[in-house]
Amino acid sequence: MTNSNTTSQVDLSTQIDLSTSIGKLQLKNPILVASGTFGYAREMERVVDLTRIGGILPKTITRDPRPGNAPWRTVETNSGLLNAIGLDNDGIDYFIANHWPYLSQIGTDVIVSIAGKTQQDFYELTSKLEAVGNVRAIELNISCPNVSGGVDFGTDPKLCEEVVAGCRKATTATLLAKLTPNVSSIATIAKAAEQGGADAVSCINTVLGMAIDWRKRKPILGNVVGGLSGPAIKPIALRCVYQVSRAVKIPVVGIGGISNIDDVMEFLVAGAAAVQIGTANYYDPTISVRLVEQLEQTLRELGASSVREIVGSLTIPQNK
Amino acid sequence: MTVQACSSQLPVVTATLIENAQVAKGLWKLRIEAPEIASSFTPGQFCMLRIADRTDPLIGRALAIYSTDPKVDGRRSWIELVYQVKGRMTTQLHRMVAGQRLQVWGPLGNSFSAERVDHLVMVAGGIGQTPFLTLAREALGLESFGTSTTRQNGYAQHVHLLYGARSADYFAGLDEFRQTGLNLELATDDGSIGPPQRVTDLLKKKLVELQGQSIRIVCCGPEPMMEAVSEIAHQHQVRCEVSLETPMACGIGICFTCVAKVKQEDGSWDYKRTCIEGPIFSSTEIIW
Repeated sequence: MTNSNTTSQVDLSTQIDLSTSIGKLQLKNPILVASGTFGYAREMERVVDLTRIGGILPKTITRDPRPGNAPWRTVETNSGLLNAIGLDNDGIDYFIANHWPYLSQIGTDVIVSIAGKTQQDFYELTSKLEAVGNVRAIELNISCPNVSGGVDFGTDPKLCEEVVAGCRKATTATLLAKLTPNVSSIATIAKAAEQGGADAVSCINTVLGMAIDWRKRKPILGNVVGGLSGPAIKPIALRCVYQVSRAVKIPVVGIGGISNIDDVMEFLVAGAAAVQIGTANYYDPTISVRLVEQLEQTLRELGASSVREIVGSLTIPQNK
Repeated sequence: MTVQACSSQLPVVTATLIENAQVAKGLWKLRIEAPEIASSFTPGQFCMLRIADRTDPLIGRALAIYSTDPKVDGRRSWIELVYQVKGRMTTQLHRMVAGQRLQVWGPLGNSFSAERVDHLVMVAGGIGQTPFLTLAREALGLESFGTSTTRQNGYAQHVHLLYGARSADYFAGLDEFRQTGLNLELATDDGSIGPPQRVTDLLKKKLVELQGQSIRIVCCGPEPMMEAVSEIAHQHQVRCEVSLETPMACGIGICFTCVAKVKQEDGSWDYKRTCIEGPIFSSTEIIW
């Protein structure tokens, strides 16, 4: 349908193109929800219209069921949340049998998050998802700080490249590598993931932290240390997205403390092709869908017709 | 294919504070306008609450629903929540005044079972009396809660509240409980009311007194107390439900913070999310 009368000004009927692409995925909009912060989506169907969200990353799954860490598993810090859940999940076979049939028909793209202790774990998980037939995207969680072993793939460039390359061979699905900020050069790790064949990198996972009850002389978290998330880490995440998007040619997905539309815009401008909303889902359960609406409105006010016009539009002032 | 619009959308609302008042030492009660939640909750359910438009404190707090207004044309308009002032969030919360806004989502979690019994014995410690006012009103047939027509009321012949606190100053809402017609018995650690004793001492006496009649225990309070109550219930072979107060971050099952060790059918155990699989469990399921 076309408008018979095309007047200018802020035209509310103009379609804003919110779509964005990550590898072979054409996402309806760039607002995704981060793994570990949205359950297996089913928990959220009473809360938000799942079809409105650009993409959903269910909680990370591992080869074998894991009970997760002993409580306490989270503790609030200044504008942040420290967690050590410990990848509590029922394992890949349970996921494929019980969660995937639901997830595969929820009306938006799903990116399955997986983590392994060994390269073999990652390959086996990837192969099992490939065998399902309709898994279109996988995020390799090589950066969970709460599980010994897994984080090495996110801190050692050689191991990172190897594990990504191995998974690349095992699937034709879009592959994202989720990176940790707990390294001296995240750009180096991102390049290794790109070299290994990743279609995109997700930046960042949580920042390693700790909380202590000094009166008891004890750590608060059952796991002693944990990962910090929430608004407190946003500047770190934004810096990582900026650095990584200049180091690699593949799309960058921004994550870390995003809690309002200005945050979303900052990440897009810094170079993120999409963003993931994490901790904000916990304390503001309808935020994901509201951000989709606000993104459209913000682009309209800006006079932009697509998200692509904004991505990576940051300009760095030259020295005087 | 898309998801069908869910018939029972979870209310996530920005609610206006109507009243915020101290009810006992360290305990405050707030009343907020939340018709969707007030009209749909059942006894034992809770809400998540946070101060709107603030990221510090960041995370919501899980608070049990204490009371609500009488139904008018099948609708209620407000709920009351009781909280203990002890951290950054609750310290800010107790300074808030009528008219300020709170973000609230609920009702969340499961409810106490509504099964016919001669004696419903409610055992509360600390702030654990909170969910028992509506439960007593429902069990005694004074009111019905929720939207479901299948949940009965008037299912208990007698309701007992055994309520323990460190000292008399900590008891909240005693008059409101008495008004339901329940049998109220108090225990204080320091003997400021009656002899120094524990609520578990009251429970042991009560179970002997009621021997031979059908009894069900519901319990809410500090974990060591709930464990002791579960043990007593087990010894007397009385069914017991406990309402766990594990710390939560989301209240809706997405963060996996609030887990408790729950026995499985095959004899093993697994961490279960108390926000969606609880907060109420049969005492025999819990590994303390």
